This record gives sequence, C-alpha cells and structure tokens, in this order.
Amino acid sequence: MLNSNDMLKIFKRLIPLCAVLLFAGCDKDFENVNTNPYAINTIDPALLFAGAQRTHVGSWIAEHTIIQQYVTPYNTGANAGFSFNVNIDGNQNQKWGEYTGSIKNMIQALNILGSSTTRVNLKSMIRIWKAQVFMGLVDNYGDVPYSESGKAVSDALFFPKYDDDAAIYDDLYKELKEAIAALNPGGDYVSADLFYGANAQPSVKTSDAAAQVAKWKKLGNSLLLRLGMRYSKLNASKAQSIANEAFTGGVMTSNADNAYVKYDGTLYTTPDNAGLRSFTQYNYVSEPFVNQLKSTNDPRGKFMIALFADPGNTPADLNPDVTLANQYGAPIGKTDAELKAAPYRGARGGGLNYSQINIYKLGSPAAPEFYVTYAQTSLLLAEAAKRGWIPGGDAQAKIYYENAITADMQIYSLYPGTTPITNAEITAYINDPGVLYNSTDALKLIGIQYWIINIRDGTEAWANFRRTGFPALTPNPSSGDLGSVGFITRLTYPDVEASANRENYQKAIQAYGGDKLTGKVFWDQ
Amino acid sequence: MKKKWTQGFHLALNKIFLSILLVFFSAAAFAQTVTGKVQDAENNPVNGATVAVKGTNRATVTNATGNFSINAGRTDVLIISYVGFTTQEIPLNNRTTLSVSLARGEGRIIDEVVVTALGIRRNPRRLGYSATQVNADELVKNRTTNIGEALEGRVAGLNITPPAAGAGSSNQIRLRGQVGFAGTDNAPLLVINGIPLDQDTRNAEGAGQQRDRGDNLNNINPDDIESMTVLKGAAAAALYGVRAARGAIIITTKSGQKNQGIGVDFTSSYTASKAISYMDEIRQHEYGLGLLGVKPTTIGQAQEGQNGWGAKLDGSPAMNYDGVLRPYSSYGDNLFRFLQTGTNLTNTLGLSGGGPNGSFRASISTTEAKGIVPSNEYKRRIFNVGINHNITKKLKLQLNVNYADEDYINPPQIGTQGDGVVNFFNRTAVSVPLEAYRDHAINPATLAEWKTNSFASATGGTINNPYVPLQTGQRWQEDRNRLLGTATIRYDITDWLYAQGRFSYDRLNSFTESIIPNAIGAIVRTNSDGTYRGSYSISHTWTTDINADFLVGGSKKFGKFSVDASVGGNTLRSQFYNINESASNFTVPDLYNITNGTVKNANPLGFSRSRINSLYGLAELGWNGMLYLNFTGRNDWFSVLNPEKNSKFYPSVSGSFIFSELLKSMTWLNYGKLRASWAEVGGISGIGPFEGVLTYGINANQFSGQSLASVNGGNAPNPLIQPFTVKEKEIGLELRMLKSKLHLDIAAFDKITTDQVITLQTSSTSGYTGSKANLASLKNSGFETLAEYNVIQNKNFSWSTSWNNTYLKTKVLDVGNPSGTILLLYFNGTGNEFLGEIRYTEGMAMNQLYTKHYNRNAKGELIIVETGAARGRLTNDQSSGPLKTGFYPVGSSIPKFTGGWTNNFSYKNLSLGVFIDYKFGGTVLSSTLLNMTRQGLSKLSLQGRETGLLVEGVYQNSGLPASNIITATSSTSNLANYWADYRNYQIGDPFTFKSDFIKLRNVSLAYNFTNLLKKVAVMNFVKGLTLSASVRNVAIIHKDLPGLDPEAIQSSGDTRAGYENSSLPTTRNYNVSLNVKF
Repeated sequence: MLNSNDMLKIFKRLIPLCAVLLFAGCDKDFENVNTNPYAINTIDPALLFAGAQRTHVGSWIAEHTIIQQYVTPYNTGANAGFSFNVNIDGNQNQKWGEYTGSIKNMIQALNILGSSTTRVNLKSMIRIWKAQVFMGLVDNYGDVPYSESGKAVSDALFFPKYDDDAAIYDDLYKELKEAIAALNPGGDYVSADLFYGANAQPSVKTSDAAAQVAKWKKLGNSLLLRLGMRYSKLNASKAQSIANEAFTGGVMTSNADNAYVKYDGTLYTTPDNAGLRSFTQYNYVSEPFVNQLKSTNDPRGKFMIALFADPGNTPADLNPDVTLANQYGAPIGKTDAELKAAPYRGARGGGLNYSQINIYKLGSPAAPEFYVTYAQTSLLLAEAAKRGWIPGGDAQAKIYYENAITADMQIYSLYPGTTPITNAEITAYINDPGVLYNSTDALKLIGIQYWIINIRDGTEAWANFRRTGFPALTPNPSSGDLGSVGFITRLTYPDVEASANRENYQKAIQAYGGDKLTGKVFWDQ
Repeated sequence: MKKKWTQGFHLALNKIFLSILLVFFSAAAFAQTVTGKVQDAENNPVNGATVAVKGTNRATVTNATGNFSINAGRTDVLIISYVGFTTQEIPLNNRTTLSVSLARGEGRIIDEVVVTALGIRRNPRRLGYSATQVNADELVKNRTTNIGEALEGRVAGLNITPPAAGAGSSNQIRLRGQVGFAGTDNAPLLVINGIPLDQDTRNAEGAGQQRDRGDNLNNINPDDIESMTVLKGAAAAALYGVRAARGAIIITTKSGQKNQGIGVDFTSSYTASKAISYMDEIRQHEYGLGLLGVKPTTIGQAQEGQNGWGAKLDGSPAMNYDGVLRPYSSYGDNLFRFLQTGTNLTNTLGLSGGGPNGSFRASISTTEAKGIVPSNEYKRRIFNVGINHNITKKLKLQLNVNYADEDYINPPQIGTQGDGVVNFFNRTAVSVPLEAYRDHAINPATLAEWKTNSFASATGGTINNPYVPLQTGQRWQEDRNRLLGTATIRYDITDWLYAQGRFSYDRLNSFTESIIPNAIGAIVRTNSDGTYRGSYSISHTWTTDINADFLVGGSKKFGKFSVDASVGGNTLRSQFYNINESASNFTVPDLYNITNGTVKNANPLGFSRSRINSLYGLAELGWNGMLYLNFTGRNDWFSVLNPEKNSKFYPSVSGSFIFSELLKSMTWLNYGKLRASWAEVGGISGIGPFEGVLTYGINANQFSGQSLASVNGGNAPNPLIQPFTVKEKEIGLELRMLKSKLHLDIAAFDKITTDQVITLQTSSTSGYTGSKANLASLKNSGFETLAEYNVIQNKNFSWSTSWNNTYLKTKVLDVGNPSGTILLLYFNGTGNEFLGEIRYTEGMAMNQLYTKHYNRNAKGELIIVETGAARGRLTNDQSSGPLKTGFYPVGSSIPKFTGGWTNNFSYKNLSLGVFIDYKFGGTVLSSTLLNMTRQGLSKLSLQGRETGLLVEGVYQNSGLPASNIITATSSTSNLANYWADYRNYQIGDPFTFKSDFIKLRNVSLAYNFTNLLKKVAVMNFVKGLTLSASVRNVAIIHKDLPGLDPEAIQSSGDTRAGYENSSLPTTRNYNVSLNVKF
C-alpha cells in the first residue's frame, strides 16, 4: 500500500512534469512577485531622525496630575480616579510609547548608518537625542530595558532585559560625552534636523554644519546638566562634577538655543493637547497651580488657564474669561459629585465651575512642543550656582533665575493668538514678593519656577519635584493604591509587559518590591 | 455519504446529478409524455424514485404519491431506481402509462453522485469521508438574504452564527470548530463553480464605528444554486492543499440540465422583518434620568443624559437636554420605537433550455432590502449564466458566469462604544421621549448635535443621538461588483481517460464613500482654526484572482478491481489594489469632497500580489464494489514564503467498506458503510505578501516643510514564517435500514492544528510589539450524528423527519509562550466600559471567557470595604495586571452542542415544514446588562433606590457583619458607585450567562397549484406554480440570557466571541413567495 512517503516520491517525480505542462518552474519569478514595487525599501536615516524628533509621547493625565498642575475629578469611568493615586494602566503607560516611536526609529537610523564616518554629526545628534528619551523613561519608571532594547530587527531580540536605572544613567552620561565630543563643525550638515536644521523655526534655524553643531553642543551640555543635577540628592559631589562639566562645555544661552518643534494645528496637532477638547468636563487645572499664578499675578496665567462659559463644552466658548482673579483651580482629592455641592463651587454648564487649560493658547492644537529650553537650563544653573557647584553664588544664581523667568515669558509669543508679555510685566513679576529671589528661599523659589515653566513637560516637572521637594505640595488625602497618603514616586510598567516580557518583568519588579507606584528611582533615594 | 431532508428532495438532487451524467450520452428523439406510478411491494407509493430514459440525459423523480411524468420515445427504456430497491429497466414498448412495482434489493446507491473537491463527481459509496449534500430547495424555503444564514442548524458539523448586524450582513461559518486562533481565516473555503474563494467576512469585529458589510456568499442568488456540498473534514478537502484546513463548501450553479426545450421560471419573494424585543426582562421604567436620586431641573443636569439614577417617575415637569420641560414619565423603549420594519423584495427570472448537444440557463435577480435601522439598505442584482455544450462527442465545453452588483447603504454601526443606535438607546433613560431626540437633534444655537449626555463633546462622542446622522445626511455606502467566470474544456481521450482544462477569473471592484457631517457626536460645528468639522473619505479596491488548472483522469476495471486516478495542477495569481483618500476640516460647510478639506490624507497605493502554484493527484483503488482506498497528494509552492523554503506537501488517505455487501441475509439492513480517513492540510492565512522585509513610510504631509519618515508597521518581519498545519482523523458509519426508511450517519473526528501563524507578542521595548511566528496548537474533536426517518408515506400524506446533532470539543494545546495563556481581548481598567477577558489557555476550551468573581472569604461570605468613602461596597484586593490571578475562566463562547430538527409534512398539494434548531454549552458576557445596571437603567439597579442597599457580607478588617447601607443619594458613595465597582473590579457574576437556545426557527407552508392548473385547459402552458409562506425566528423556546436573544451578537468574527454588546436586536421574518414555471 502506498503511504505518504511514497506519495511524496511520486510527487517529486511529477515536479519536472509541471515545468513542462504549466508553469515553466513551479516557483519561477516568485521573488520578483513578492517584492512590492510601491514600497520604500531604503530610506535616508536623517528622515527617520526627523520623524523621531517630532514624536513625543506624553499627556496631561499622568505626570501633570501627580504634580498637581492638572486634575481629573471624575470619579468613575475611563480615568477612574487618577487623582486618587490609583494604578491605572492607561495613565501609567503613555511614556512607554517612546519605545515603539522615537526609539525604534532612531535605532533603525543608527542601524542604517552603521559605522559611517561621513555622517558623524547626524549620528551624534541621534545619540544625544536618544539619551534624552531614555533619561525620561528612567525618570518615570526606574529600571527599564536599555542595552537590549530596540533590537527586534537587528538582532531578533524580542524580550529585552531591564537594566539597572543607575547603570543606564552612567551610560547616558558616556553617550552624551562621546556624542558631544564627536560633533564636528566641519562635518555633515543635517538639513532634516527639526530643531536647528533647514526647516526649523526662524529663531533657531541654522544653515551650516558649524552653526548647527554649536547648537547641538549646547543642547548636549544642557542635557548633561539636567543629568548631573539629578544626582543632587543621591550623590552631591557627582552632581557637582557633572554639572560643572556641562557648564564648562557650554549650555544654552538664549531662547535661540531652545530645542522645540512648532505645530501648525491642522496638518499636525500638538499631541498632548488633543485630549483637551474632548470630554472637556473632565479636564481642570488644579487648585495649587491656580493659586500660585494668582498670588503672584503671573502674566503667563492668561495664556495658560481660563474659565469657560461651559466647562463641559470648552470649544464653544471662543472668548473664555482669562482674568486671573476670576480663576479657581479644582481642589485635589475631591470627586466631581462632591465638587458640584457646597462648600465647593458647584456645577457650571455641563461641567464644574473651575478653571481649565486655555485651549486656545497653552492647550492649542497649534502650540509649540518644547523639549529642552534655555529657561529650564538657566534654572538648573541657578540652583547649581546657589549650591556653589558652579561659580557665582547667590548673585549669579539670581541672574540665572531672572533670565529663566524672562526667557520663559518670552516664549509665550510662540503660542497662537498671544501678545508678547511686556518687559514691564516681566519686571513687575520678578519683583513680586512671592517671586523675588532671596538667598534663604532660593531653592524653593527656583523649584516653584521649574514647576511653572514645565507646565509643558510633566516628566521634567515631576522629576524635579521628587529631587528637590519643591514646590511643597500637599498630598492627595486619598491614598489610592499608595497604601498611605503621599505622592506617586514612580510609574508602574505597562500591564502588557507582565505578559509580553514576563521573565524580565518579574526580575525587574523585584527591585521595587513589586510593580508599585511607591517604588523609587535610584536618584530619588 | 449522503444526507437527506426528505426523500423527495433527496432524489430531486439525484435527478440533477443523474442528468449531469446522462447529458454525455447521446439523446434519442422523443415524442410523447409517459406517466406512471412507482410503488413498493406493499403498494405504498415510492416518493423520490429516479426515473430516467436510458441512453439520454432525461430523468425525473416520483412525487409523494409515487407518480411521475417524463418525455420518452415509444421504444425507449426507462431506468427506475431508488435507494434500497433493485433498479429496474423497463422497455416502454409503445406504452404511455405504466405502473411499476419495485422490489427491495441490495441497497445499491449506484446512481447517486456527489460533487467532491476539484469538482470531481463521485459515487458516495466510494468516499472515505463526510461529504454532505445540502438540499438547495430546503434552503430556498428558508428565505434569507444571505444563503449562509439559511444553513444554520442544517448540517451536522457546520456551525452558522448570524450576527444581528443589518441588511445584507455576514455570517460566521465554522466547520468542525475553529481551526485557528482569532485572526486566522477560520471560515471554510467556498468553491463556486470551481473558483476557490475565501468567505471574506467584512464584519464588525471590534469596538467603535464598525459596520458589517456582508461576505462572499452574498454573491450567490439562492435560486441559482443547483447543488451545495459540504466537505467537512481535511480528507474531503485535501485536494485544496493549503486552502483546505477549514473544510470547503462546494457550490454549483444551474446550467439548465434539468429542462428540455425552453423553460421559464420566475420567483418572487417578499419578506418583512420585525425587531424582537426582550428588553422588558431587564429595563426599568420606574426611575428617570438623573443622578443621586435627583430629577433634572437644569439643562446641565439633563445633559448628564446617560444615567437613570434620578428620582422616581411621577409625571411632574422635568428639564430635558434641549431646555424643554416634559413630564417625568416613562416614554417606553425608545429603541424599538425608533427601529422600523425591515423589508426584502427579491425577484428572480430564469430562462433555461437544452437540446441534444447541450443546455443553458440564464437568470437575473434583484433584491431590494431595507434594514430595521432607518437608512440601512441593501441592494443586489445578480446575473448568472451556465452553459454546457458538447462541441463534438468527445469535446465538451462548460461556461459559468456569475456577476453580482451589491450596494451596502449605511450598514448599522454596532458593537462596543459605538455610534450606533443601540448603544444610544440602551444607555439613555426612559424619561426622555423619542420625539425629543427626533425633533431636537440639532441644536439651533450651534447647528451641531444637541448635547444629550456627558459623552458628547466638542470633538465627538460615544453615545450619539441616531437622529443626527439621519437628519444631517451622514452616509456610508459601498458599491461592490464581482464577476466570477469559469470556462472548462473537457476532452474524452478514450472511454476511460479524459483531460480537462479550466480557467477562472474572479474580479472584484469595490467603491466605498463615507460622509460624516460634523464629527460624530460633536456638539461644536467648527474646529479651532475656523474650518468645519466632519470627514469625507473614499476608497476604491479592485482585486483579481486568476486560477488556471488542468486535470487528467481515468478509470479502469481489472476483474474485481477498479482503479481511478487523476493528476492535475493549478496556478493561483492574486492581485490587490486600493486607493483611499480622506479629507476633513472643511472650508465650505456641508460640502463633502476631497478638495474642500483643508486636511487631506492621500494614502499610498495599497498593493499586494501573490501566487500559489500546485500539483496534485489522486488515486482510488476499488475491490468488488465493496472496498475502496483513496489517496491524494498535493504540493503547493508559495510566492509569499522565503524562496529557500517555499514548498509544502499535503497528503491524505481514506477508505470505505460497504459491509452490507457481506450481510445480504440481514434483510432489515439495506446499506451499511464504514469509513475512515486521515489527512494533512494547511493554511496560509496570516502570511501576507511582502511581509518578510522592513519597509519605511514617509508622512503624507511635511512638517513645517520637512519630510518625516518612520519604520512601517508594528511587527518585526519574520522571514522564516511557514503555513500552519492541520491533521485530521475521521471515522464514520452509515446505515440505511427498514426499507431504507431510516437513515443513520455518524462521524467522529479529531483535528489538530499546529504551527499556527500567530503574532508573537513581543515586548514593545524591542521596538516592535510583535512578530509573526509558527506557534501554538489546538484541537477540535467531535461527534456528528444524522438520523432521518420517513415516518409516513401514504398516497396523500407523508411525514419525514430529520435530526442532526454535533458535539464539539475544543482544546487549546499550546499557546506558544511560557505563561500558558494568550490574552486576546481585555476590557478592564484601561478605560473600557466592559467586562472580562477572552483568552486562549492551555488545557481549556477555545475562546475562554474570564471575569473576576466576588471577593469572598474562606467561608464564602462577601468581603466588604470597612473604611473610607467606599465603606459598605465591594472589595477588590485581588491582584491586577494581565497576569491577574483574580480572573477566572467562566466558560467558552463556543457551544458544545448544535443541531436541528426538521419535519416535513405533505398532504396532497400542501406541504408544511417545521424546523427547530438549538445550541447549548456556550457562555456569554452581557455588557448590555452591566452598562444598563451601572447607569441605573436596568431592573437590577432598582435594588435599594429608596431605602438603600445593604450588601451582605463581612467587613474586610474586623470580620464583623457589614452594616453600612449604600444609598442612591450620597455624593461620595452611592449605588452608581456600587455598580460601577462591578466594572472597575471586573466582577462578572451577575452578568455571565449561558448562550444556550432552542428556537422554533422556521415554519413554512407551501401549496403546489400545478395539478390544479393542469385540470384547466387554458392554463396548461403553466408547468408549475407554488405559493409559499414562512416565518423565520418564530419563537425562542428556551434561553438563559436576559433582555436579549442570545444570537444578538455583533460580530461574525472570532475576536469578540462571547462578548455581547450593543448589537441590533434579532428579527422575526415573515415571507411570502411565489414560484411559477412556464
């Protein structure tokens, strides 16, 4: 009797037959058939880098809420009580998107570049920017996949291990130092560079490699300064040493050095702001933040926040009330049901009678997205000077502090529909008793400003809050998943990692006694 | 193997196939009509005996009274055959009437033919596997727009699940279980006139705005079907190689063999469909719109909208979302007031003819259907031609063309969080009248949707007044045109050897257009840049599948031995193109075209192409008409695979043993056959063209003048991917007993799928969230039974009954990852409204649903929150995250038992069909009930409205009996919060049900006027006239799921299996049909 092997033999003999009868080769031309003539099979890595520069992952609901800039008092449903310190995956995992966004594309760009020496500046820029992205991931989560990440295509490495956060920081330091050193004024000009390249915004763009490299060196050193200052609590001497290196290397000196991208609000919209226009009854500014703006008569306030005729439908109100005195922030830890009743301010339209992000300015779909600014850098310098880690002491710290405020006020002119904040307003603000630099409260004042300046960068504001303890916020009385009243000190890993990368995840969470919101990043010990 | 619904219909099919056989014989001249009667030895009429004119292609079957009528020449010989009786040859010798008495015989079924794989017609006694013929007339009796729906419950092993998804929607078709995990094409291969095609359900699989847009069975007009064979197992379909894993349904359309001369047949059918409501089982009409027990007094409160936590309805004035005060009363179930009666008018006109050298049939049919959701329409025009022509005695040509033009207009949006009508009405309170939603859909102040609930927002919402799309001209439309053409040439080289060549062409053109005025659910008309909201998109797809094949076959007898063998080859060339464009942010309001949009998306040309080349052969060895062995083998070569390893071989072996040949002394046994088979087949589903290499995309728009690029796709390419494999074993037994009145057929099968093509979930930190891999295995095994019995067969009255049943057991053997489980879908804390998970877990049945249970202590008492605002509510201290141990399997969505019971009665010219079908052993999670409860709209949510609810249990810390009462009115912790906990904690206990049902599916009544008309001389030109009426979904005899028909599911896919949410109600269909033949 024939078995399947015999059948197979018969078939093997039949194969030449088919060539004659039908196909002229049973798989002839198959490789050609299976190549898509319309696909892009090779790409200029600079375009991948530009795409990665534009990709930014963040939202108002996670970090901004922890540090009480923004609040969702909604008690049930999609955000079920983020403000109550509950561990909600959808809120915690936003930043993790960097891995499949900017990191994936930057690593593929580096794969393409290989050991190319002709595009050393492009390569160095990618290394610097990759360091910035990973710094944010470490600051949010602690230990994260680093050395093995992004290698699915190059190494078929699908399940990266988690690296120790301190070790990642060590490597980021090395990466920044090496990349800054490798930048070559006589080398390649990266026209596609969204920050300073040919199509960057007029105030920051360059047209040759030397000018571009100069800006990238400042950006690299400003990131190095940021990295160094993170050690202030853990290892002051290390912080001092790195801050000094960065300062000596040359950090940003004006708004013309800012690393940012500008959205047109139509073809490309500011990603973080997209959510502000839907279900607007859930989006409010928190009470401590509003009180800070009001108490110092902050001229930025009118661009940041507003009271809308119907908070349940903010886009319907084209001219919301932006008078600071009329603004009220939503109290922390209260549900929408509570806020609708006495002693709170009650309902307003389809929402609550509290201030919201100004969706026409700060919260506009056409708002610029700032990554690293002179204002941030100058505040870090102020702190370093105050601590005596860089020269100048209090006198220089005051200058850095005021420069930062001035620079931040000035960049509001880049938001749609704004009028420039006048020098008089700036001067008045700087001299406001609640703002004016004084040696005793210097670190506190600097910390508060860092909080305000980073209304656009929750990761940075939250990291600085954990490091410095400023601003001195009152924790949410509802402890949620924290166990006791306090602040979230790290985000939990995305739930999906627990199944998709199980073994490495299990090892990683041991460092935090479980994947908890109360774990601490290494520099926050 | 053969399955019969009634003897009459059974042999009507015989007639068809006998005709096909006989068409190859030369035709003799005929001159007269011969009538006669066939009886058995006891003078009972034999219903369904085949009467053929020897040496011609003319044949007919006897009717219920045993009478027949046939054209024959004076000297012709009639061959009269019937299962279980000795075939007789009767020379006419100038007689024009005759009476025939058939003697019980050896039970030969030599004249039966079934269409098997590759269209090869074979005698069922030779088959070693299950191949069930479906009676086409029976399907037509159960008029459904999509022929697939009429198959439900009809064939053992075939599980049809029609979603409640609007006019022209798809069906889930599964043969012997689900061959792969969700994402695999699990529907059987359809072979229409020799063209293999996938079912291609364009279903509503996921959340949001999906619409069911039918499937490929919609391309076939039920009245055109000549035969339908269900090849259940891998062995039966093995000759389709890599396309055989899911079994196959072979459909042949008519080509006129039936008729001599010219015949015209006309069928007109009208169906009215009414939505069936079970909502009274769950919807409360006591409390109205509002929160915290308060009746809305401000517009803001009224615009909370979706909650029924208000005050007791008392008829006093209450504020509505539109600022109008209306009595605070129940206005009834708005959904069923909103829905309309669906209709379907189908007309088919057929013209057929045949002469000595061939035959033809051409038909045109039109269907105009309206769904139960206003604005939903389905229109279809089908043109079908079949031609047989004998060019010479040895050279035969066959041509089949089927052209279907379909319009899917506004298929309803169904499923989770959708924009559809059901989601809106199920989640709004009864205290707002439908007329308010209708008359005040558009807010005159904003010219956008009036805010009716807190889910409405500036940019869009998820619970949207369905009058808005109706009044603003929202439109979604698909125009599909499909041409299926086959030309076959066959040459009989000698009397035992033939060669055949076939070319088939399958061309699809589909154009879709979508107009969404304003964003769906948006309460603001303009964008921040002053442009108008809304979107417009168009998409054009055209695909071509070309199959070319050849087959050389022969058969020889050597004494008691017979050999049948064929070899052949096939090439399949597929090409796909798609262009789609969309625009939004319009400059001119209410004008929807691409150029008016200030934001345009021009997508890259969608393109793919692939080829599969195949060689195959089959050999059958027979001995003494009693023992048969069959071997098949097929080798497929794939363009989509790595060139280093692009070939796969698929073998099968099967055998049949007609043991009744050895038991002729046992007179009660007319026919007995044992069969067994084994096959290995495959599936390429999941492996697409061009997937093996990384590609890049450039953003459609520059960013501030700069081009941006990114790596395409979330999956890392796997160049080593291979098709998955299915191995199936089957044994079966078929018996015909008691003068062949009783027919039993049982089959047991065991089918294992290995090396599934699944997307291995990778850590996103690798840069990619997945990579396709050959992983995971599963098993489907089962037991199929068929029992048919002709209970009564008298002169005037007959009753035949048929029962089929399937027991299906599914088991996940390996999921390909160390955790032992794959999470397919989950709706937990990530913000969805819904409940539970679907997983594939090793050792368990497929499509396993999971939820958490109440948190209980060792004594089984509920553990209640002791401190804080949530005091008195449920606890959730079970661990969370995808590895959450707190989730427990609550059952599989796949029913274990499915089946149907058919009864056909006939009295003279009147016939009555009663069909009952059932499914048992599946589980369903009711998100409708969960949502309605947590929003205070269900009867379940009435507990404690006035007095508060004491959740009995013990406090978490102290262990003391819980005593805290949860009220409806507390602003910090209330009944709404209590019920929201069920969703937040994923406690499924009150919302988990059996999907079991027993339905009186169909009752049909037909009267055949033909005999009456024959008595009227002037009406003699009418050859046949039948009027019939039927009701489908007559009643549910048994169900468990409250509020809904358990078949009111939204998807014909596998991803959301077992999740019930926001599908349309099912309908009761009333049909009248007229069939006239001239």
